[in-house]
Amino acid sequence: MKTPMFVWFLVGVLFVLHFLLHVGFGFGTGAPDLLTIALLLAAREIGLGRAALLGLCFGLLEDALSVLAFGANTIAMTVTAVGGAYTRDLFVGDSRFFLASYLLIGKWLRDLFHWLAVGEGLRQPFVDQVLIQGAVGAVYAAAIGLALAAVAGLGREA
Amino acid sequence: MPAYGNEPESDGRRSDVTFAVVVMVLAASTSFLAESNQQRISSALQTTILRPFIATQARLNESRFRAVQVDALTTELDSLSAIVSTHSALLDENQTLRGLLGLSDRVSQSYLPATVLRPGTPGSESMFLVDVGADDGVSHGSAVVSAHGLVGVISEVRAVNAVGMDWSHPSFRASAMLADGSTFGLVEARRGRFREEDRLVLNGVAFNQSIANGVTVLTSGLGDFLPRGIPIGRIEGLADSEGSWRKSYWMTPMVEPGAATHVLVLTGEGGDDVSAVWPADSLATSDTVGVGPGS
Repeated sequence: MKTPMFVWFLVGVLFVLHFLLHVGFGFGTGAPDLLTIALLLAAREIGLGRAALLGLCFGLLEDALSVLAFGANTIAMTVTAVGGAYTRDLFVGDSRFFLASYLLIGKWLRDLFHWLAVGEGLRQPFVDQVLIQGAVGAVYAAAIGLALAAVAGLGREA
Repeated sequence: MPAYGNEPESDGRRSDVTFAVVVMVLAASTSFLAESNQQRISSALQTTILRPFIATQARLNESRFRAVQVDALTTELDSLSAIVSTHSALLDENQTLRGLLGLSDRVSQSYLPATVLRPGTPGSESMFLVDVGADDGVSHGSAVVSAHGLVGVISEVRAVNAVGMDWSHPSFRASAMLADGSTFGLVEARRGRFREEDRLVLNGVAFNQSIANGVTVLTSGLGDFLPRGIPIGRIEGLADSEGSWRKSYWMTPMVEPGAATHVLVLTGEGGDDVSAVWPADSLATSDTVGVGPGS
C-alpha cells in the first residue's frame, strides 16, 4: 500500500510528531529523530530533486531552532536526502532488514554530516557526538523505523 | 552489433540531477548567509510553521508550573499582602523625604518573569526561547537570571519573544569580579569532553592574585549589558596559569541551565547594581549546581 499519497501522509505524520515530541513536549534527545526517518523514507520514493528539496526544507526548520551553527542541519539533511534517493539506483531491497539497515546507516551518516558541517570551533568530540550518540540515535531510528514498517505495512517481512 | 553499455540518461533524469545539485548548493550557502538574514529566516519559520509547537511547549510549561506552585504561591501571596500593606506607607514617606531633599527617583532594574522554552533539536543545545520580547522592553544583551544567579543573556529579540544563550554557549562571556571586588576577570564557558562536563572559567586573573575555593563570583557591570552583582558561580580550583602573568580558575555555576524553566529577564540599564537582589548571606547558604529557578 505504498502509494505516493500514502508516503506523503506518512511524512506529514512523522513531521508533526517529531516537532511535537522535540519542541512541543520538550523531550529533546529522548525522542527519536522522526524527521530523518521521514526524510529517508520519502527519499526512496520521490526522486532525487524533490528529495533534496525536502531535505533542504527539513534542515532549515531544524536550523530555525539553532543558534550554534545555522546551516549545519540544512546541509546534513540535504546531503542525506540526496544519498537516500541515490540508493534507489543501487539497491532495490524492500525487506524489513534492508529498511532497518537503510535507516540505521542513513541516520548515522546524517549525524556525521551534521558534525562535519557544524565547524571546528563548535563541534563536540567525534567519539562522543558521532560514535556514541550517533550510533545510539541510529539504532533508535532503525528500531522506530521497524515498528513503523510493521504498523504501516512497509517492506516485506522476509 | 553495438556493445552493451550504461543506459543513456533521459532528459528528465538529467534535469532531476541538475535540480538536486542546485538545491545542494543552496543548502551549502545557508551557512554563509549574513547573520541578520539567518535570523530573519529563523524568525519567519518560528513564527509560522514552528509556532504551534513552540506554543504547545509554552502552554505545557505554564500548566506544569501552575499545578506545582499553587500552594506555594498562595502562601507567598498572603505574606506579601501583609508586607505590602505596611510597605506603602514607607514608600509614601520615602517619596516625600526624597522630594524634600530634591533627590531624583531611584533607578532600578525591571524584572520580567518569563518561561524558558528549549527546542531540543540538534544544534540548539545552548539556546532557549523566552516568552517576552521587544514589546515588553527586552533588548539585545539583557541578562536572564534565576533565583540563584545568571542563566544567560538574550542574543536575539523579536516583538513577542526572544532567543537567549545560556552560559554553556561557546560565545558566552561575562565581565566578572569576586564578591568583595578585589579581583576582576572574564567568565567564559569551557567545553568538556561531554556536554555534561561543560564548565565555567574565570579567565584573565592577575598571576599574583590567589583565590580561595568557594569564593562567589559576580558580574562586574563593566560593559554595556550585564548589571553589576549577579552571581555567576563559585571558585572551584586553579584551571591553568599562563607564563607568569595570568591565571584562570574553574567555577561551579550557580545555575544549571537545563534546570531553569522560569526566569527573570532584566530590562533596565546595564550599569545598575543589582547585588541587593542576591544578598551575600543567602548566597553563602544556597546550593549551587542543579538548582533551577523553579525550585
